[in-house]
Amino acid sequence: MQTALSIALDAFAYGMALFIICIGLSLTMGLMRLVNLAHGAFAMIGGYIASYAARDLGLGYGYGFGIALAVAGTVLIAVPLERLLFRRIYDRSALSQVLMTIGITFCVIGITNYVFGPTLKTIPLPADLARPIDLGFRSIAGHRLFVIASGLAVAGGLWFLIERTGFGIKLRAAVENAPMSRALGVRTELIYAASFALAVALAAFGGAVGAEFLPIEPYYALRYMVTFLVVVSVGGAGSIPGALAACLLLGAIDVTGRYLMPDFGNFFFYLAVILVVCAFPRGLMGRAP
Amino acid sequence: MMNRRIFGRLMQAGALVLAGGLGLAGAAAADTVKVGIIGPFSGPFALQGKNFQAGVEAWLAQNGKSVAGHDVEIVYRDLPAANPQQARALAQELIVRDKVQYLGGVYFTPDAMAITPLLKQGNVPLVIFNAATSAIMTSSPLVVRTSFTTAQTTTPLGKAVVDRGVRKFVTAVTDYGPGVDAEIAFKKAVEAAGGQVVETIRMPLNTTEFSPIMQRIRDAGAQGVFAFLPSGPPTLGFVKSFNDTGLKQGGVKLFATGDLTQESDLPALGEAASGMITGFHYAVSHDSDANRRFVAAAEKAIGGPGQLSFPAVGAYDGMYVIAKMIAATGGKQDAEKAVEAVKGLAWESPRGPVRIDPETRHITQTIYLREVAKDDKGHWINKEIQSFPEQADPGLAK
Amino acid sequence: MAQASAPMAAATPARDLGRDLAGLALILAAGLAGYWLFPDNLSFLTRLISVALLVLSLDLIVGYCGIASLGQAALYGAGAYAAGIACLNGVTEPFLLILIGAAAGAVTGLLMGTVMLRAHGLPQLVLSIAIVQLLHEAANKAAWLTGGSDGLAGMVPAPLFGLFEFDLWGRAAYLFGLGLLVAVFVALKLLVRSPFGMVCRGLKEDPLRVSALGISAFPVLLRMFVISGAVAGMGGALGAISTQVVGLDSVSFELSANALVMLVLGGLGNLYGALIGTVVFMAVEHVVAAIDPFHWMTLVGALLIAIVLFAPRGLSGTLDEAARILARRPRRAGP
Repeated sequence: MQTALSIALDAFAYGMALFIICIGLSLTMGLMRLVNLAHGAFAMIGGYIASYAARDLGLGYGYGFGIALAVAGTVLIAVPLERLLFRRIYDRSALSQVLMTIGITFCVIGITNYVFGPTLKTIPLPADLARPIDLGFRSIAGHRLFVIASGLAVAGGLWFLIERTGFGIKLRAAVENAPMSRALGVRTELIYAASFALAVALAAFGGAVGAEFLPIEPYYALRYMVTFLVVVSVGGAGSIPGALAACLLLGAIDVTGRYLMPDFGNFFFYLAVILVVCAFPRGLMGRAP
Repeated sequence: MMNRRIFGRLMQAGALVLAGGLGLAGAAAADTVKVGIIGPFSGPFALQGKNFQAGVEAWLAQNGKSVAGHDVEIVYRDLPAANPQQARALAQELIVRDKVQYLGGVYFTPDAMAITPLLKQGNVPLVIFNAATSAIMTSSPLVVRTSFTTAQTTTPLGKAVVDRGVRKFVTAVTDYGPGVDAEIAFKKAVEAAGGQVVETIRMPLNTTEFSPIMQRIRDAGAQGVFAFLPSGPPTLGFVKSFNDTGLKQGGVKLFATGDLTQESDLPALGEAASGMITGFHYAVSHDSDANRRFVAAAEKAIGGPGQLSFPAVGAYDGMYVIAKMIAATGGKQDAEKAVEAVKGLAWESPRGPVRIDPETRHITQTIYLREVAKDDKGHWINKEIQSFPEQADPGLAK
Repeated sequence: MAQASAPMAAATPARDLGRDLAGLALILAAGLAGYWLFPDNLSFLTRLISVALLVLSLDLIVGYCGIASLGQAALYGAGAYAAGIACLNGVTEPFLLILIGAAAGAVTGLLMGTVMLRAHGLPQLVLSIAIVQLLHEAANKAAWLTGGSDGLAGMVPAPLFGLFEFDLWGRAAYLFGLGLLVAVFVALKLLVRSPFGMVCRGLKEDPLRVSALGISAFPVLLRMFVISGAVAGMGGALGAISTQVVGLDSVSFELSANALVMLVLGGLGNLYGALIGTVVFMAVEHVVAAIDPFHWMTLVGALLIAIVLFAPRGLSGTLDEAARILARRPRRAGP
């Protein structure tokens, strides 16, 4: 029982880290119909900025400052990219989008490798988060609890934003019927740019807080691309509860599988993916196309 | 007849122009010995490739760009990940078109296996800077290796840790060739020394989340863990998990081969790895004049401290071996003579005294027991605490 | 893609035949030119042919059936390992090995198709990824059979026709590969022109209308999967024969992704596009990586971005366009 609880906690933390990174991708793919394989690249950029801020500028500014800088900096980098590149492929075929965003990923990897070198970068944690916290049945790194809390906050905040605010209504309208929304005075270009920025900000945030799970290095952008893509489509692109369910389910299967039969760890994961996709061809909570 | 010759010339000229246009041409000067180096210079293992380059450049910086009057020219070729087809294509081009007399580098075993069948026909020796499976050496008599094998670094470690009073072990290795090699070698060594391996865990590749593995280790109730993972992100995840889940505080000892604590990863591992004990053939902090000279040159070549680690010393010593080969053959292409000339060759490497075993053509060297600790400047290093001289590769011992 | 295929389908059979013969002659000429002009790069060119077969096979299901796949290397790897294992067990005749590779690829294609055709769009793509990852994992675990991560080594294929060895210079391997490629290309040209090929294309353009004709999609697409598997398997077998080592990379996601990139680069739904994409991508990668082994990835990335921006229909589409402009023919509108 104690072991089961302990594993469940690990799975939960891991799933939440995945969720924070993937939810932005789910939004771009589901709402903006943009297959953005460069999403991991933005998460990586966020991680690098946070690492640079916390490590090289000194921790004096704090972990929170590093993360805030990561989000702001990554969005700042992404905005010109959106104007120059992404905007041209919103209405192109999925395969063109794949080609372009893989190209962007290659460039980002190459440039990162050149600028920061190929070594691993860490984001030093403040003492409070680095300490193991005793939960009675086991100790857990404080950071993991922080990730869980962040994940829940992100899920709640996004749900509120999309379902309950004016921006959310306009976004959903623009997705359902762009020409009609334009005719009604919604500036879809702005809406798209804003939601792209939001997705990038989430990626950067996830890259920074998830760095303990997915360490920051130049190849990050490609290494985890498959995982992100799998999680998003298992959940159903564009659905927040779906992405949350997928992250928790896949996180649980991954972690439990590795505990029970580490030899066949990856088998469980991909078998589960095949079974889930076959059972729910639109993802766990996907919208009808 | 005449026409055909002119046609042939034209074709040749055309080919040259094309090749030149592609930026591939490069007719060798009269007396230049070309050395082709294949390594992962981009992609997920770019750091290791960069270390190859640093080792080579360090050797050239110290010894000049000519050997016994023959200019040495290095041709680098990128092979980002294990890909035997590409390895063969690169090696073939280096031999046939670039006319290299020596091949060096090679990070992954399957790539080496794809190159070895070409060596005899190409009359080219291959000096392996890394790829660490025993079987490569038996696949061609023209292979010499200046790195290590997993069994070579693990066997003395197994003995040493039992001698230090730990009896009950769990092994946790990544589930691929080298990991399995390490598991088998460690288990054998520990059992020979009177210890016991109570559980062997094989972990999936490409995992960075290790808490379930830690839970298993805890369940097994071992005093010590032996780990083997490919260097890079998985290592960091493993060591962090080991700390975060309280195993370290619970008094469980973590042992590994030096791949886990390669110097370029140490700043990231930091405090988490403190006290970890590893067995390996080279530490950047090794205390000798030869090593200090090497480190100075290699750090300059790699462009800053903190990125240098073990592949560089394999490359550096590889260049030493290649230079001896060039000198022994007088710059002429004669692979058999070249390999013959370095059999039994012994010298002082930055890692300590080494020797090419005449039987196996693999390097015999000192294996060190090291502990992750801070040096007097506050940098994390692999501090050598015990040495096991004259270690051959147990995988090749007959 | 729709525009690219529509005029071709509408053209007269005679013009089609002329175009096909011209295209075939061009491939042969290019292949032989490669042999004469780059006699020192034949190993690379053979690898290129092997990958071209993979990309062609991918075009069959992506370009002609509209099934997105990022797992095509599963089929390629099945062929490579089957040929490799057969070769180590005494079957060394190259033609036979190619057939074994094709058979293994076809069987894998059957299985993969059965699973993948259950979904559409993104989930289908993810199924393909999961399948190739599973096979990759299986090949790693079955080290006693496949050599695992150390690779399957030591195979020595018999000389071609009992005369020409697969040696350092790789002439036999290259000409063997070129012959195979041309034969496969002709067969595929016939296939995509056949009523069966038309049905596939119809299913891609308008599944509803085709099913209204009383044609059930699943068996048709599954058959195409099997054919695609056979072609990819031949590519894998060619790779195994010419390299004499099979590594885990031949069943990897990376290879699958590269194949898709090459296909989209060249242009979908048009067999020439698959060839052009493979040649351009691999040649650029090869040359750029040779010039700057350390930073070539950035340049390749920039190339991909440029292609999407400036050649939206792939290289073959742009060539088509250019040819049309040169011939001053007004472009026919697509459906």
